[in-house]
Amino acid sequence: MGNLFGKKKATRVTEQDRAVLQLKQQRDKLKQYQKRITFHVDKERQLAKQLLKDGKKEKALLLLKKKRYQDQLLNKTENQISNLERMVQDIEFAQIEIKVIEGLKVGNDCLKKMHEMLSIEDVEKIMDETHDAIEYQQQIDDMLAGSLTQEDEEAVLAELEAITQGDADLELPEVPEEELPEGPEQEPVREKERAKKKPEREMVAV
Amino acid sequence: MSFEWPWQYNFPPFFTLQPNVDTRQKQLAAWCSLVLSYCRHRKLYTLDVLEAQESPMFNNKKIERKLSVEAIQVVFEELRKKGNLEWLDKNKTRCLIMWRRPEEWGKLIYQWVSKNGMVNSVFTLYELSNGDDTEKEEFHGLEDWMLLRSLQALQADGKAEIISMDDGKGVKFF
Repeated sequence: MGNLFGKKKATRVTEQDRAVLQLKQQRDKLKQYQKRITFHVDKERQLAKQLLKDGKKEKALLLLKKKRYQDQLLNKTENQISNLERMVQDIEFAQIEIKVIEGLKVGNDCLKKMHEMLSIEDVEKIMDETHDAIEYQQQIDDMLAGSLTQEDEEAVLAELEAITQGDADLELPEVPEEELPEGPEQEPVREKERAKKKPEREMVAV
Repeated sequence: MSFEWPWQYNFPPFFTLQPNVDTRQKQLAAWCSLVLSYCRHRKLYTLDVLEAQESPMFNNKKIERKLSVEAIQVVFEELRKKGNLEWLDKNKTRCLIMWRRPEEWGKLIYQWVSKNGMVNSVFTLYELSNGDDTEKEEFHGLEDWMLLRSLQALQADGKAEIISMDDGKGVKFF
């Protein structure tokens, strides 16, 4: 679907598409034909009814024969339409199958290429080497651990903690130390004043 | 569903072109929207001026008023300027009316196609406008020229490709 946004000048209509279109066009024509015949059949039925009412039995019979023939035509057309439609569906399905196979092929090629890049001996070698390296590393670890006593290890851990804590402290904003106490003290004073003033005003108002 | 006429439709002066420029502008705008909504309601795609004059659109029998051919042409000309109408002949007697732009129709059709998982398939134009599958869709019964234009709009977007065959046309959606 990569070409969904790219403008390709080459036509994207395949031969199969044209074939499908031709089949569909044929089907459309048949459908139109079907409509026409249905219309005729209906009309002739009405006419036959009318003729019977008028007592023209012979003519009515003739008309019904004609209608019968057209009914058969209608059936045939129906069959042909379904044939065409089946054909269209077959083609469409075959196209889908081709796409599925193509997809599988791409996947298969990709897998093959990746397998070419890895041989079993290589994998074994790499695994062996990794194993060796791990052992080597472990030896180093042992040696290092051996040179440090339990106490040393604890000291290292403590230092690590101290550092991490120091970092955490640094991130905090500085606490202002001087200004804060004044604020809350002033507030209550004002409120007290207001509390005092209010009753006075009310008294005046009264 | 019956069509809802605007209030002006029962107002006799509405059927005579107004001399005052401002009033006339308003009148024309009202006529334009009336024509578009009437055509949308009745699903009309081609209009004949004389026929239209006799139709309820321009002929209000209740108040015995109808718009003159000249006035209809003025209204239509206004619609043409707005891109909703195209004359079919030089004498301006027949026209195509587009109450929905081709791009919008194209969008509707493409929505239907992708909703039903039919992207990448081929259709005949008859199938789209008259097929059983599209019976409930708004674009059912769309006239060929309009359908073709909407598909051309889709083609310009790279969402469809019109296929011409010896008899008739088809389209493939992408």
